[in-house]
Amino acid sequence: MASSSTTPLTPTQVLLKSATIVSQGAEAKVYKAYLRHHGLGKTAISTRTGTGDVSDVQNNESSGSELDVAPVLIKYRFPKQYRHPSLDGSLTRARVAGEARALLRCLRSGVQVPGIRFVDATEGVLGIEWIDGKSVRMLLPGGAEAEDDEGVGPGDDEQVDEAEDEADEVDPLVEFGVSRDQLMSMIGTEIAKMHQADIIHGDLTTSNMMLRRETGDLALIDFGLAYHSTLTEDKAVDLYVLERAFGSTHPDSEPMFSSVLEAYQKYMGKDWNVVKKRLEDVRLRGRKRSMVG
Amino acid sequence: METIHQPQFPSDLTAVHVALFIDVFNAAALKARIVRAATLTGPEGDAEREALNFAFVDASLITSALHLQTAISQASLAAAQNTLRTKTVHSEILWALCPTNNISEAIRRYGISDTSKALFVVRVDSASVGDVEERMRGVVEGRVVPLSTLAELVDWQAVKKYNKLNTEPAVKKAANVDAEHAIIDNIVISSVASKGVMA
Repeated sequence: MASSSTTPLTPTQVLLKSATIVSQGAEAKVYKAYLRHHGLGKTAISTRTGTGDVSDVQNNESSGSELDVAPVLIKYRFPKQYRHPSLDGSLTRARVAGEARALLRCLRSGVQVPGIRFVDATEGVLGIEWIDGKSVRMLLPGGAEAEDDEGVGPGDDEQVDEAEDEADEVDPLVEFGVSRDQLMSMIGTEIAKMHQADIIHGDLTTSNMMLRRETGDLALIDFGLAYHSTLTEDKAVDLYVLERAFGSTHPDSEPMFSSVLEAYQKYMGKDWNVVKKRLEDVRLRGRKRSMVG
Repeated sequence: METIHQPQFPSDLTAVHVALFIDVFNAAALKARIVRAATLTGPEGDAEREALNFAFVDASLITSALHLQTAISQASLAAAQNTLRTKTVHSEILWALCPTNNISEAIRRYGISDTSKALFVVRVDSASVGDVEERMRGVVEGRVVPLSTLAELVDWQAVKKYNKLNTEPAVKKAANVDAEHAIIDNIVISSVASKGVMA
């Protein structure tokens, strides 16, 4: 904003300048970026200048290098003007760290999540593996509507037109080689794996799940609200949040959600009963526990 | 040798030169030379340190090129932000690779050892520095091979041990060896990337 143009930009700011924005929310902006390039000397690369003009060098494919050239998804928690700068800094650092920690825990527990590729906590940047695919929300009926007021999952950007011909009744799931039932069961299984590792996602919705184009695997994304907990209550609320999300975004969601629960139950084994009981309680009272009494 | 460009960093960190040497037979001598260079004084010492100004990474603990590149990026970032935990960007690469916070352990495990047979030699510098491969060959006696050769060099047992992956559900449930290696690779890359915030 009012920052003077003479201060040299930090590496991460330069990186963000070269990145393409994917979506923006109140907490963070999401970019697609390349951390490194090959074919040095082939292209005149304008490096860092005071104004940070960086040409987006995209000669990766042509250089014939065998090194990794995959893009990354950058989640940038930009500075919030409404907070005191030192509070803002420590909150941002803590949140980046928290999200990275939750992702790593998931990876170690075998939950399908994107891998971490780059972290700059001082700048509020988390770089994760770019998933080529679509969010589950876009793949289910009703999900493509009003998509601009919601956070768009990575990879959705080019898919909008396609998703809008939903009236033609072409099931978008076909291209992934997955049936709707299989998809629901993958969702249930991944959530169960995550809960078995005592990780609570905190914001389970169909937009926070993606289907990978290459493998047809499901991946859970956006662990910004995730935390560690062994409490049945937290797991039940996690499921309840998803149930509400299903109900509000996809018509006739009851059979879909019950196949999610079926797969969840199968994976949880004997731990299911307590969660089931608690989920019923939560359904009656809502996600917040009464503070009275 | 491969050259990678990191345009986001200050000019003295933009170019990364990486070469993979196999059949290295002067590892012990090279290690002794590096140790000696640290204590030399005067212009002679500076020249020797410049000649050895590389990161020497034992290739058997590197699971993929991206693993090494991630460590290089994080080390470059620390150098650019003046938050290096070790003395140079090259030693910082070794520290970034190591799951623990102990610097001497990082150098012992991930750096060159007397028995190293395969080595990654890395130089992070400005794009104007020339004949880097020549200089690498001048120090390491071995054969330079394409980075993809790495697949045959990885000591997966040691990787699992050092990263404490033997008891992790993700590794135990892997369907086959290839899947297991892909999972381990993803976990170690993620650990390297997020090391700075793990505390």
